[in-house]
Amino acid sequence: MKGDITLLIPILLPMIAGGLLYVIPWVRGRKKESIYAFFVVLVTLVSSFFFAHSGHQLVMFEIIDGVNIYFKIDKLGRMFLLLTEFMWLLSANYSEVYLKHEEHTRRYTMFFLVSLGAILGVCCAGNMITMYLFYEWMTLSLVALVLHTQTADAIGAGLKFLFYSVAGAFMGFSGIAVLAQFTNDTSMDFKAGGFLDMELVKGHETLLLTMVFIMILGFGCKAGMFPLHAWLPTAHPVAPAPASALFSGNVTKMGVLAICRVIFYGVGVDFIKGTWVQEVWIVLSLITIIMGSMLAYKEPVLKKRLAYSTVSQVSYILFGLALLNPIAMMGALMHVVFHSIAKNTLFLTAGSIIYRTGKHRVEELVGIGKRMPVTMWGFVMGSLILIGVPPASAFLSKWYLAQGAMESQIRGIWWIGPALLLVSAILTAGYLLPIAMKAFFPGERGNYGTYTKKDVAIAMKEPVVIYAVLGVLFGLYPKPFMDLLTVIIQEVF
Amino acid sequence: MNEKIIVALILWPCLSAVFCFTIGRKHSRIRNSVADIMIGIEIFLYLLAVWEFYKEGMAMELVLPNVCGLGVSFRLDEFRILYSGIAIYMWFMSTIFSKEYFKHHQNRNRYYFFLLFTLGATIGVFLSNDFFTLYIFFELMSLASYVWVVQEETKEAIRAGETYMAIAIIGGMVLLMGLFLLYYEAGSLDFEAVHRLFLEKRNATVFVAGSCMLFGFGAKAGMFPLHIWLPKSHPVAPAPASALLSGILTKTGIYGVLLLCLSVFFEDRLFATILLLLGSITMLVGAILAVFSIDLKRIFACSSVSQIGFILVGCAMIGILGKEGSLAVQGTVLHMVNHSLFKLTLFLIAGAIYQNTHQLDLNQIEGFGYGKPFLKICYTIAGLGISGIPLFSGYVSKTLLHESIVEGSLIMAKTELGSLLSIVEWLFLITGGLTFAYILKAGLAIFYEKGKQPWEKGSYLNPMGRIAIGVTAFLLLCMGLLPRIMMDPIAEYVKGFFYEKEWHRIAYFSFVNLRGAMISIAIGLLVYFFFIRKKLMKKEEQGYQYFDCWPKWLDLENGLYRPVLLSFLPFIMAFFCRILSRFTDGFVVFLHQTVLKPAKTRQYVPIGSKFTDFLGRMVDEVVVGLNKTICKKKPIKKSFVELFAFARIEAKRTNRLVGRSVSFGLLMACVGLMITLVYLLATM
Repeated sequence: MKGDITLLIPILLPMIAGGLLYVIPWVRGRKKESIYAFFVVLVTLVSSFFFAHSGHQLVMFEIIDGVNIYFKIDKLGRMFLLLTEFMWLLSANYSEVYLKHEEHTRRYTMFFLVSLGAILGVCCAGNMITMYLFYEWMTLSLVALVLHTQTADAIGAGLKFLFYSVAGAFMGFSGIAVLAQFTNDTSMDFKAGGFLDMELVKGHETLLLTMVFIMILGFGCKAGMFPLHAWLPTAHPVAPAPASALFSGNVTKMGVLAICRVIFYGVGVDFIKGTWVQEVWIVLSLITIIMGSMLAYKEPVLKKRLAYSTVSQVSYILFGLALLNPIAMMGALMHVVFHSIAKNTLFLTAGSIIYRTGKHRVEELVGIGKRMPVTMWGFVMGSLILIGVPPASAFLSKWYLAQGAMESQIRGIWWIGPALLLVSAILTAGYLLPIAMKAFFPGERGNYGTYTKKDVAIAMKEPVVIYAVLGVLFGLYPKPFMDLLTVIIQEVF
Repeated sequence: MNEKIIVALILWPCLSAVFCFTIGRKHSRIRNSVADIMIGIEIFLYLLAVWEFYKEGMAMELVLPNVCGLGVSFRLDEFRILYSGIAIYMWFMSTIFSKEYFKHHQNRNRYYFFLLFTLGATIGVFLSNDFFTLYIFFELMSLASYVWVVQEETKEAIRAGETYMAIAIIGGMVLLMGLFLLYYEAGSLDFEAVHRLFLEKRNATVFVAGSCMLFGFGAKAGMFPLHIWLPKSHPVAPAPASALLSGILTKTGIYGVLLLCLSVFFEDRLFATILLLLGSITMLVGAILAVFSIDLKRIFACSSVSQIGFILVGCAMIGILGKEGSLAVQGTVLHMVNHSLFKLTLFLIAGAIYQNTHQLDLNQIEGFGYGKPFLKICYTIAGLGISGIPLFSGYVSKTLLHESIVEGSLIMAKTELGSLLSIVEWLFLITGGLTFAYILKAGLAIFYEKGKQPWEKGSYLNPMGRIAIGVTAFLLLCMGLLPRIMMDPIAEYVKGFFYEKEWHRIAYFSFVNLRGAMISIAIGLLVYFFFIRKKLMKKEEQGYQYFDCWPKWLDLENGLYRPVLLSFLPFIMAFFCRILSRFTDGFVVFLHQTVLKPAKTRQYVPIGSKFTDFLGRMVDEVVVGLNKTICKKKPIKKSFVELFAFARIEAKRTNRLVGRSVSFGLLMACVGLMITLVYLLATM
């Protein structure tokens, strides 16, 4: 073991703590478990904030000759790391009350922590192999969260999630195996600009491009990119709300991170710029954007609608990455954070609605704003952020994505891309705003007499409010955040 | 410090919105007064800003870099002072009117919140100095004002609210597309920079960008074919809100169009011609709709559409005439100001009527104004003003617009544009006539005809309401009577905004100019007496019966937009998207059923033991045979396989029980034997 041992804290602490949950005798019952989880995540967050600076690295051990389990934090990884921990923290806070609704809270909390560790492992990974290992581990621990309720639907959804993810990860792995042939670095450490040895590549471009494409598809599965998106709308509605918020806000982003690693730190931008891979990738992401929004527009079940929305929104990010230019990548990385914020808000409010009223379908939500004003205000803010109404934050990411698309000068895409983004934004407004409108303005459809104000507990409102405020603040003054992104982007271009 | 006042001007209403909301949760009475005071303070801030402006002696600019990403910038110059002043004035008037109007309404708190918040956003729109800032505040304003439309929560209000929201969102997104393209082409969205950049060259992209922006701004202004939200949402909104929607919010759209004409399409003939056509259609369509309407506020709403058309024609003339367009500039600006004030007065009058009668249908409110001189006079001033009758303020602005069209057709005589302009001139006069006709229709119905029911003559409006209506009407009266003193300076004041023009004036009351008004009046009277009286009204014993003869199917929204946007397009798109979405799952299922079909491993699993199963099946066969022959009427339905299996289990269980009991018995017997043996041994 060589390097900064402190790096192990974010990865191992949640996992060990999760395992200990079954051992420590005095942590029993929903309340204690939630507080335990909250503090574990808090400690992880604080310690990684202070110890896991970019540039820290740690070689843990060698699996086989030359292939290391190797962690290294860079700016990109740190961004995802802190984002994940922050979301997990708020989600733990939310779960404290929400889990009244669920059984087997100890199992839930354990997998909640273990999956956090796995995801942090993906964020901290310093080479392909490590990333792949934690990626798979993440999938396996998340399955438990999907099928938590153990209804027939949930188990089916869990299996679907598992099969899709495993299929995707194997596609990724096959790519990694091929990439290994074309580099001198056996453990494939991430290097800005790519680790391929162009001497070795010569003559095998087609093979390599195909494998890169397969990797994009495979890791795109987690990010919900067409054609492997189908697990999202199945898995989100059945998972407990705090978990589905994390799935949508964070797990999908791990797919994005993996693709980032492959493209920007693995094969390098120059290798795929202008090839068919880039074009097909752009087209696939655009298809996903429209398809997701359209299906969300038609979907009557609230959480499923939000899941389709995730399909569409995460593809905004992929679209930005696929354009392979700095401005679009700025938009994409901004959207990573902004979409997480917005979607967490929306899923948590959906969870609150289900928790308080047991209503799942959008047409049942008439007048709900009169009963749960704070929650529904959160919903409105989340919607506005997601639609991209200025000055809420996602407006900015959309702006940069569109400018990046135009800057790229790829024929057709340079104007179709932005236009489709806006069509999707209109659809987003179409599937989110009517809910808010009906909630606050029931009119004759609702019955004013029956509306008694009874919002959810404070612990469930806190995260929603925090996200909503953050979403607006990021939009109002994004400078510090953009400076950070600029550094990341300059590294890879 | 000076420039910071602009920020205060924008933020103050937003903060006071929050403040009022907090107060209003407990004390609604105090909240109403506080809202008045807040806008009073806003007026004070405005005056302070104007004072700063004069102290400075030049336009104030404020750039806040990095806010909202690209940075926002504001500017305070003459035009912006004028229009933000009008906005604040109108807000003040409608807020003091609101107190009485909303006496018996629910949900007042949210109304006040959004009223104040929208003021901030609107001021932001008018003070912005680049398209990016403009867009931010434009969107905020559009969304916040949605609440006004649905405030009453009636069925119509909610439907109108949907339309309003849809137009706001779609318009906003198309506008954003325009901004994307423009920013890409220009690299900046600053009005001045864009103006300079596109003085000479405009490629196709710029043209598309500008058209998208025209769509977005036009949607807010109520330009044909995007005017549909106006006639729907004005009647259902509370009257003070309708006054603002019509008087100011449409003007933000106009402001956008003006900026477009002055920056992206500075003196661009093609664009101006398109705008001219759209403006003329808007003008005519609005007037025709108004003539047919029988709902008072709907008449005013359609009238707004029509007047917006006039203003758009003015904007187009600015573009067409270029350097000689001073008349068009004056006409446009003055008509904007006029129209804001007209609509404030008219909608507040409608509000006064509504709060007493709770009706807006001309048939129901007929004769309400009989014997109410205050309302009558105010209506006359505003109504005749909007119709462009000499000595009223609308005459001045309409004459200026008319003259600019005439000027254009003279300059461009013998070209296609020239002949187009002479057609537009006639459309202009006809629309003026229609305006007069619908104003007459509504005015006579309310103030001169005796209604079916007698109306009380008592107090119908409190002093606050009288101030709100009366002051505005008085202002309009003065403007009409003293155009040289009251109106020309306004136009002259803002001329810096329109770049260099050869400034000249016209004699308003010369014969040539009066002639146009006379033609309009004649047309108006003809339409009123020979069309409205004959076709749209019927005399009854008491008063008149008004008919809405407008064919129901002839409605752009219900006939075209809603079916296409809500049913047809989503259906088609969702159809294809579903196919795509199921692609992977479907592929897997397909494989599962074809290539990867699992082998038939399903074998017959005997129920029970092999013996009972065999026996049961045998008996079942026999039973089947019996059912077909002997027991046809009472077929035996039970399966003997299961029966035997159960029997076997039963037998097994009994066996076990018996076995156990036997062994227990044996054990006991053994124990007994042992004890006996022991006893025997012991006794021996």
